[in-house]
Amino acid sequence: MPETTPAAPEDPEVLAEFTARVRAGEQIEAGEWVPEEYRFEALRLINMHANSEIMGALPEREWIPRAPGLARKMALTAKVQDEVGHGMLLYRVAETLGRSRDEMIAELVAGRARFHNVFHYPAETWADVAIIQVFVDGAAMQTQGALRSCSYAPYARVLKRICYEEDFHIQLGLDVWRALAEGTPAQRAMLQDALCRWWTPIMHFFGMLDRVSPHTEKMLAWRIKVKSNEELRQQFLRKFVPIILEYGLDVPDPNLRWAEDEQRYVYTEPDWEELKRVGRNGGPKSAERLALRQRFHAQHAWVREAMSRWRARADGAVA
Amino acid sequence: MPGALAAIADPAVRAAYREWLLRIADDELVIGHRHSEWTGFGPDIESDVAMSSIAQEELGHGRAWYEQIAADDGGDADRLAFGRAPDEYRHAALLEQENGGWEYSMIRLMLYEAFEIGRLRLVAASGHEPVAGLAQTLSREERYHGLFADTWLTRLAGAAPGGPERIQAALDRAWPDALGLFESTAADEVLQRAGVLQSSPSAEREAWVATVRPVLERYGLAVPSGAGAREGGRRGVHTAAFEPLLAQLTEVWKSDPEARW
Repeated sequence: MPETTPAAPEDPEVLAEFTARVRAGEQIEAGEWVPEEYRFEALRLINMHANSEIMGALPEREWIPRAPGLARKMALTAKVQDEVGHGMLLYRVAETLGRSRDEMIAELVAGRARFHNVFHYPAETWADVAIIQVFVDGAAMQTQGALRSCSYAPYARVLKRICYEEDFHIQLGLDVWRALAEGTPAQRAMLQDALCRWWTPIMHFFGMLDRVSPHTEKMLAWRIKVKSNEELRQQFLRKFVPIILEYGLDVPDPNLRWAEDEQRYVYTEPDWEELKRVGRNGGPKSAERLALRQRFHAQHAWVREAMSRWRARADGAVA
Repeated sequence: MPGALAAIADPAVRAAYREWLLRIADDELVIGHRHSEWTGFGPDIESDVAMSSIAQEELGHGRAWYEQIAADDGGDADRLAFGRAPDEYRHAALLEQENGGWEYSMIRLMLYEAFEIGRLRLVAASGHEPVAGLAQTLSREERYHGLFADTWLTRLAGAAPGGPERIQAALDRAWPDALGLFESTAADEVLQRAGVLQSSPSAEREAWVATVRPVLERYGLAVPSGAGAREGGRRGVHTAAFEPLLAQLTEVWKSDPEARW
């Protein structure tokens, strides 16, 4: 996690002016002055998003070698490639807030950084690919879609492109979903099983109900947070529960129902202790996936060394 | 649309050309599979993304060739790619070997692309449409794959501590398999006699060595001498690396080949 730098005393007038600008809908460009707390929170958010794209490549990539059919294999390779590419864009944005990519990646590989809870879970069957592309990417789309109107302009711009691609991933996932949902009984059973396994992590994805706190207030005022966790979860359920029902599959929560009077979905409270554990890299696949990252990071050490020497030499030749 | 094979009247020539196109398709499928194993694990994010593109292109080329064959067989590309027994595949050993380190994958990419450019030139010169046109289109993409490998090998050989030794070891390992790309079977003779192909595997091999030798020497590498070609792939005899590859490739598809996936 990013280290806390002692906050420099900030001129209350400058701070108030900043908050007023942001509140009025203005966006902040890279290199502009920001309050230290803003920089810290924005960096934490974007760094975690970048980490999640890189770690998020792992569950799905397991199915590239086994994808059934040439078109599926190419499409899944392209899809995972998109996620890795998002990681690149996001690390570049994070760099504008003061950390180097090397540092962030080293921290991620060492298991000292966070990434989204959903990427700590196994992808056990081909049907998991459909669930990840439709529901996990669909969940991410709610959060990221909202953040397109965040106050940090470089992040907002990158999110436009990311959401455009994520929307495409959902369409791709729906195609896999349809093939399985309308397929043989074994294919349908495989899909239902995957949906059941992923339900809790997806409900966790949006986080607990926000506490009403001055901190949350400030994040909302600064537009580093745009919608509350519960708003996003409800938005997700409104879009995605109908897909499950349309194909005659079971929603894995027997208590889930639309409450007309409250205009919201009522659901079983998931086990938040599990989310906390997973968040500390204690999920079912956390250790294994980090070990994989470490293995390749170590294997490529000499390659990185060659690149940095080559660059140094090229820089020297220019200078 | 009928493929190129339908236009060939002589059944022996047609069978030989089918066999020859199958080699191309299988080479591309198998190397595309190996390249896609780097997705998520490249040495840096940019190369990870680039290698995924190369993988997709090779898989796409494989599909285009399978479609040409399937157009005459009445089958489909997926059935050709996923539905055959191991000894029915015609790729060379080079393409099925495990990725190993990045240096092996880059050396293999460089050696294979140089070969592939030559092979596509032969197909383009065959005059048989639509495959001649297809070969020309695909050459444009293959050229970039070769440039990617060259960029990497230049840096690894020129700036890495111990780089030249590592790459030399990779080259020594890849070389006999690379020579196996030029394995000749009865199909080659038939096609040459019929005038479909304007060159023989041994002439192609000579031209290939003349192309790759100066490049390898520019990296400071020695072309392995005295190592014979590892053959068998073009006849369906594969190394130990292929069985697990094929099992993984076809795991889901074979669980129900009649299902729509």
